[in-house]
Amino acid sequence: MAENNSIWDKLFNMDRRWIFLLMAVVVIIPFFFKMGLPINTTDEVEGIYNYVDSLEQNDAVMIGFDYQPGTMAENQPMSEAVMRHCFARKVPVFITAVLPLGNGLAEEAIANLTDPDEPGTFQRVRYREWHSYDYGQDSLPSRVTHDQLVNLWERDHQLREDAMGWVFEGVDYVILGYAPLFHIVLLGMGRSIVSQYPADLYGNPTENMPMVKRNKSAREVDLGVTVAGSSAVLWWLTYAHESYGMPIAFGVTAVMATDYLVYLQSGQIVGQMGGLRGAAEYEVMLKRDGYSIEEGKAFRGMDVQSIAHILIVILIVVGNVAYFAGGYHRKGRRLRAGR
Amino acid sequence: MLSLRATVPAMVLFAMAGNVLAQQGAGVLAPPGEVTVSDVPNDGGDQLLVCFEPSPDDERVNSYTVYRRMQGEGDDAWRPVRVLFPGQGTSFVDGRDPDYSVRPGQIYEYRVTALSESGEATGPVYVAEEAADGEWFNTNKVRILIGCAVFLGLIFFFFSKAQSGDKLYLRPIPGIEAIDEAIGRATEMGKPILYIPGLSTISDVATIASLTILGRVAKKVAEYQTPIMVPNRNPIVYTVAEESVKQAYLEAGRPDSYDPDSVFFLTQSQFAFVAGVNGIMAREKPATNFYLGMFWAESLILAETGSLSGAIQIAGTDAVTQLPFFITTCDYTLIGEELYAASAYLGREPKQLGAIKGQDYFKALVMLIIFGTLVLGILDVLANTDLVAWLDHLVTSPAAG
Amino acid sequence: MRRTIPLLIVMVGGIMMMIQFFIPHQISQAVFGLYTDYVPVIAGFALILGVGSLTRVHYHKVRRRAENWQYSLLVIFFLYLMPVFGIILPASLGGQAEEPSVFHFLYRWVQIPIQSSMFSLLAFYIASAAFRAFRARSAMATVLMLAAVIVMMGQVPIGDYLGKWFPALGLWILRHPNLGGKRAIQLGVGFGILATNLKIIFGVERNWLGGAGR
Repeated sequence: MAENNSIWDKLFNMDRRWIFLLMAVVVIIPFFFKMGLPINTTDEVEGIYNYVDSLEQNDAVMIGFDYQPGTMAENQPMSEAVMRHCFARKVPVFITAVLPLGNGLAEEAIANLTDPDEPGTFQRVRYREWHSYDYGQDSLPSRVTHDQLVNLWERDHQLREDAMGWVFEGVDYVILGYAPLFHIVLLGMGRSIVSQYPADLYGNPTENMPMVKRNKSAREVDLGVTVAGSSAVLWWLTYAHESYGMPIAFGVTAVMATDYLVYLQSGQIVGQMGGLRGAAEYEVMLKRDGYSIEEGKAFRGMDVQSIAHILIVILIVVGNVAYFAGGYHRKGRRLRAGR
Repeated sequence: MLSLRATVPAMVLFAMAGNVLAQQGAGVLAPPGEVTVSDVPNDGGDQLLVCFEPSPDDERVNSYTVYRRMQGEGDDAWRPVRVLFPGQGTSFVDGRDPDYSVRPGQIYEYRVTALSESGEATGPVYVAEEAADGEWFNTNKVRILIGCAVFLGLIFFFFSKAQSGDKLYLRPIPGIEAIDEAIGRATEMGKPILYIPGLSTISDVATIASLTILGRVAKKVAEYQTPIMVPNRNPIVYTVAEESVKQAYLEAGRPDSYDPDSVFFLTQSQFAFVAGVNGIMAREKPATNFYLGMFWAESLILAETGSLSGAIQIAGTDAVTQLPFFITTCDYTLIGEELYAASAYLGREPKQLGAIKGQDYFKALVMLIIFGTLVLGILDVLANTDLVAWLDHLVTSPAAG
Repeated sequence: MRRTIPLLIVMVGGIMMMIQFFIPHQISQAVFGLYTDYVPVIAGFALILGVGSLTRVHYHKVRRRAENWQYSLLVIFFLYLMPVFGIILPASLGGQAEEPSVFHFLYRWVQIPIQSSMFSLLAFYIASAAFRAFRARSAMATVLMLAAVIVMMGQVPIGDYLGKWFPALGLWILRHPNLGGKRAIQLGVGFGILATNLKIIFGVERNWLGGAGR
């Protein structure tokens, strides 16, 4: 094939390793130059945000860390954003996981949101710490709310200056963690949470936790947010929403996002965050309403994504120019297979 | 529609008198009013809908506590079944709290206490006229029942039609026809075949469809004496896949050629599985890759690596978002239901073909209904009628009654 | 006999669950409860089989000194090392109770980066696949390509710079034409699932039991 030597032929049959190299360069550049391009919010994400914003400490949210470290770049900012929103509004958060690796991701998210070295985070108090504390002549109510506990706790403790508030394990969040065959567990939680999770991830008995006492079954949970890189989201829809009516929201990777828009239109879910963009939109709203000092990782990641998308569009244009200029549309010539 | 009002027995009047606590300052808090209890329809007889009239001083109330006891029990049997805060309304479904479950057929008594800054006030005791009762048919599922009946009817009709020897035409699907060709190619090249039955669990129908195809592929492979590799992500899928391949070798008359290491469990972790499979592709260079079953974000990583290694690739999945990736990188792709049909195509058993026909006719019926409803909907807008609502009522009228 | 009993279990179980779906009565709930109690137990045993399989395959490779057997040795080593650190030796690196455990260290600094790298390959592969797939070969392919470019640019902040209408157009494509097509495929998939389930329940499809039919 002697004719394969023109510039168009070379471009048309470009070795894919050049594309890989270009992509690598393009995703690294934005790390050095912060662009901070503005992001507009969409109905899909606003649906979740407004729903969580209408909740308060007598309600509860369940967040499913239904992904693995693989999709963490897209999924982790979503769960952290929703969790931050809940913490700021003092809404208790139950944390579950479809896969064993979800436990570590949940711990990581809590650690990030309660990092003492970062301004604008929360100050965490572990369950054993506040539960076994001596409150003097005041007894601790068994169904103590966040505000009641803060009043008692702040007599002897002071909130870090740059912290956004307290977060008490067992009152504001509990990591229930991974359980095998999670769809069956979801069904079981419709009857009782304690029956499915007698202890949390750290072995603390859940039946003594105020947030579990106030929300004994998943029926009393006001929103389930499943953040996932697989179709585990449908378990929540089938077994939590359809069987006992828990309102559900999805957080899925960009690759899957279009699959589940159907459920949004049919009204079966309250909203959906799709990929990094979904998480970035949530972060923008959090900052707008003062729930965070600045946007998080997703917002910064959108710069990278912008440039990467531009590269792909340029590649498509180049490919098509080569396709026509090289005469491939006429001669019926074909792309070489493989490399 | 099922709501029945509870009555106030004379005996409770003195109970309320003793429970209203007067406090200084804000005056006496008026107790909450009448409690009505009704059975929740279409449940297992373990739920009651409880509504109560709020206290006339509702704006001063911090919370309402609803107490319950079984009829005939003493004063110490009252149990606080629910606390309702302002904004949470004055009705709830009783029986959802696992600590205070409702027994079917049991008559309960209720009373409500309002709590404010200045004190509390307890309303009178009400005896529920209705007990929780489980139903034998969920009237919300009439439409589903009708749909299922029609579907089952069509499937069984075509089962019998196929068995009586009628020739049923099925359009050819290139991806399925290529399966034999792909196995043949691997045999000629003397290289192994890689078969991935998806990454999902056995409860996913795509996985089951894939395992049925695996049985047929393995039988061919056994006849041709081509090596096959089946990595698995799910332990249950692994056991079924192993049994499937072993049985295929037995049926092909070559049980001794079966390599017990050919079907294996890799890992449950999604991307570790991808790394493992990509490693196999890079090292073993299989001539043919099958990706049949459920795939997620890893689909492109698998298929692109396979395409780099120069293998013939046949994919099939019902994960709609992954289809574009497979179509771009594989030689043949089975789209959605084609994956389920593949087993019938390969086996050509009359009953299997009948099921496909039945399914197709049902689909045609649904298309007609969608189109018909669309036309009626347009008519509704143009002529200002209520045809769609009327049609909906026609289907669900048993529930309304 | 070896096949009849499983087929019978599937048939009775399948028909029972089908009927159970329509009956909310407490007896039917009790049957369903029983099912949900037993399934996890069975699944637990399957995991043992999986770990057994992995060990066996790699043990054979090591024993036969097959090509790249060293990797198999590593697989077996780490397969058993992680549970040892997770369950038996949950000690931390520095020996302090407050410090993260060895298991956590391996998880955070080995497993997470490795898996994230695998997923990030997607960005590279999507770029190369898009380059090869989106060519204006025909009218249909051109429409597909234009839709892809609009949706892609609409998804990132750069799209907002081109005008408010641009992301709106991308969203419109996602929400309407895309969803319409998707619904059609999903409807077909749904019927396929139903038909396959019925074939399994009534014993027409038995390949999943192993082997190619009768």
